[in-house]
Amino acid sequence: MRSAGRSWLLLTGFVVFYIIYLLFGGLVFSTIERPEEERLRHELDTLRQEFLNHSCASAADLDLFLARVLQAHRSGVSVLRNSSQPSNWDLTSSMFYANTLVTTVGYGHSTPLSDLGKAFSILYALLGVPFTMLVLTACVQKLLFPLVVGPVALLHGWGLEPRAACALHLLLLILLLLLCFFMGPAALFSWLEGSWSFLDGVYFCFISLCTIGLGDYVPALQPGQRNKPLYQVSVMVYLFLGLMMMFLLLRAVHKMADVHGLTTLLQLPRCQESSPDDEQRPIVENQGKNQSEPTDKIASPANTTHPSYNTILKG
Amino acid sequence: MAAPDLLDPKSAANNSKPRLSFSAKPVVLTPPEDDECDTRITVMRWKTVSAIFFLVVLYLIIGATVFKALEQPHESKQQMTILDQKIKFLSMHSCVNTSELENLVKQVVSAVRSGVNPSGNSVNQSSLWDLSSSFFFAGTVITTIGFGNISPHTEGGRIFCIIYALLGIPLFGFLLAGVGDQLGTIFGKGIAKVEKMIVKWKVSQTKIRVISTLIFILFGCLLFVALPAVIFKHIEGWSALESIYFVVITLTTIGFGDFVAGEKGGSESPSGGSAEIHFYLDYYKPVVWFWILVGLAYFAAVLSMIGDWFRVISKKTKEEVGEFRAHAAEWTANVSAEFKETRRRLSVDIYDKFQRAASIKRKLSSELGINATLNQEITPGKRTLSVNLGDERECYPNLTLPLTPVPGALTRNGSLYLNGLSPDYAVERREIPGMDSLK
Repeated sequence: MRSAGRSWLLLTGFVVFYIIYLLFGGLVFSTIERPEEERLRHELDTLRQEFLNHSCASAADLDLFLARVLQAHRSGVSVLRNSSQPSNWDLTSSMFYANTLVTTVGYGHSTPLSDLGKAFSILYALLGVPFTMLVLTACVQKLLFPLVVGPVALLHGWGLEPRAACALHLLLLILLLLLCFFMGPAALFSWLEGSWSFLDGVYFCFISLCTIGLGDYVPALQPGQRNKPLYQVSVMVYLFLGLMMMFLLLRAVHKMADVHGLTTLLQLPRCQESSPDDEQRPIVENQGKNQSEPTDKIASPANTTHPSYNTILKG
Repeated sequence: MAAPDLLDPKSAANNSKPRLSFSAKPVVLTPPEDDECDTRITVMRWKTVSAIFFLVVLYLIIGATVFKALEQPHESKQQMTILDQKIKFLSMHSCVNTSELENLVKQVVSAVRSGVNPSGNSVNQSSLWDLSSSFFFAGTVITTIGFGNISPHTEGGRIFCIIYALLGIPLFGFLLAGVGDQLGTIFGKGIAKVEKMIVKWKVSQTKIRVISTLIFILFGCLLFVALPAVIFKHIEGWSALESIYFVVITLTTIGFGDFVAGEKGGSESPSGGSAEIHFYLDYYKPVVWFWILVGLAYFAAVLSMIGDWFRVISKKTKEEVGEFRAHAAEWTANVSAEFKETRRRLSVDIYDKFQRAASIKRKLSSELGINATLNQEITPGKRTLSVNLGDERECYPNLTLPLTPVPGALTRNGSLYLNGLSPDYAVERREIPGMDSLK
């Protein structure tokens, strides 16, 4: 029990450090990018004033103006309202940006304008991406037992044979995921964002959770959005949980492919069972082999027995 | 066989063994049978990999044609609209007021969202949804990079994008695993050769691993980061930082889209040098896509290596903390054992002295008068003491107690307990005051 407690402590430590990392990134981006954004907005305002002063605008002037507008829009600055528009680089927005950087979603609705911001983004991403993957896989390891192995064992206990239990469980998991992480949030988003339809919400959820992140739809960007920081933070939480669920689904699919013999058929690497933190109790209690189990698995990658998952299924 | 695990960041994190060198197999001259086995497996894998590669290319071509069919009409409609707006504005340019300007800008912004640049004329603008660009877009979707400079705007395009990604991303994952495996084999063979050379110099195993990792990182950086950055700087006209920024953002699949290779060609007006650029562009985009494929495999390896280092560091800290805790526990156990020993010896010593003092006192009081002793409570423990008064002269030289008092010893000489009761019994019964504080 002590080792299980310790691994939970380690996991919470990971998650806390992840949150701190995001906050840190948000602060740094905010301090680097905000002045640049102010400067760009000011420049655009003066440009607009000059244009309005002309009573007679020529085509060349118009094209120049439009080119500048486009460039500014690409950097996330719109010229439509006056300067009371909320910044794209305040703390929560910068954190949101750091989150998109580190989960590799990368919407692109706001991108670093200064050279220093770009250089920092490179370093931040190189360290943050593997760390995020580590945190997510660690969380998935923890969730694997209650959400995948446990229910399958339950189903098997009710009398279904292993492959059917596996397939049924996968189906249920997919349905649950669809409902809680696609349909539900899509309805919520289409209600919160005035101009999004339900399909737009589903599209956004899918594009975000697959980490594609095209950036044509980004929440919390409407001018005059109420509770913008809270909204952005909740979108970040949704992204994290959703990504975790997608990883879990991926693991479950991989395991099912293992069980059904697809991975051996396609000669792909099998799903490894060893946990990154060796503290976790194995599913099947072989007490004496706790420490040697992961190293054994690596020493013999062609090992076809995975005691935790398969032995439960095979009874 | 360790290479695919390396290259899938998700499954690589499950391996607890730190991989400091790319080849997880030890550098030993393998017997010829193993080599044959390896080559046979590698050959079969190569066939699988190339089959998957062709499948992916076919999938991309299909996706490209569908996207083109869905998106191009919409795009040309948008283009017409924005041009009309522009002509109208120019005809009214004698009097420009704010509302018209705002309107125009709104139109511009929504046109930009569709990917159209209104500041050229429609003659030489190549579409954003021609075949090669659609191919590129499909590639960005299934690699999950997702630049976003082009994105589907019709409902049909979006639904198709979802289904396309659902099937394409796992497919690309398999391809990536296969390519990574091949890459790993090539690199592993090269590094094994280098390691064999270094082994002759009698360097330690860890140093060999570190050197091979460094070689892997340097070589890979040169081939997949530095060289493409130089090429992008030259062709796209970006600065050095922007090129490296683009390379890193693309290869980690973040894909913001503020810089996209091959984007400028769509909106450039024909001038002197652009004929060359148009010639490049036919081959440029597929080459870029191929670079993305191999570079992604390399970056996945690098990122999983960094993840391994994190895990090794956390494991090491855990080990060190565990060692420290074990040492501390040992130290505490030693100290407390010593303390108990000292305390016991001390208590026996004090009891000894107290007993001597008591016997001297009794002797004095018996010499002075018997009344003093009669008032005292005679308990069995004290009786042992008083009984021993007679033996005190013989007892004194024998007052060195054995360190572990043996209960029930009945010897008369050299011991204090005549009736089978040990002094400890007296102590335990709390009959002798002052001993309590030592308990």
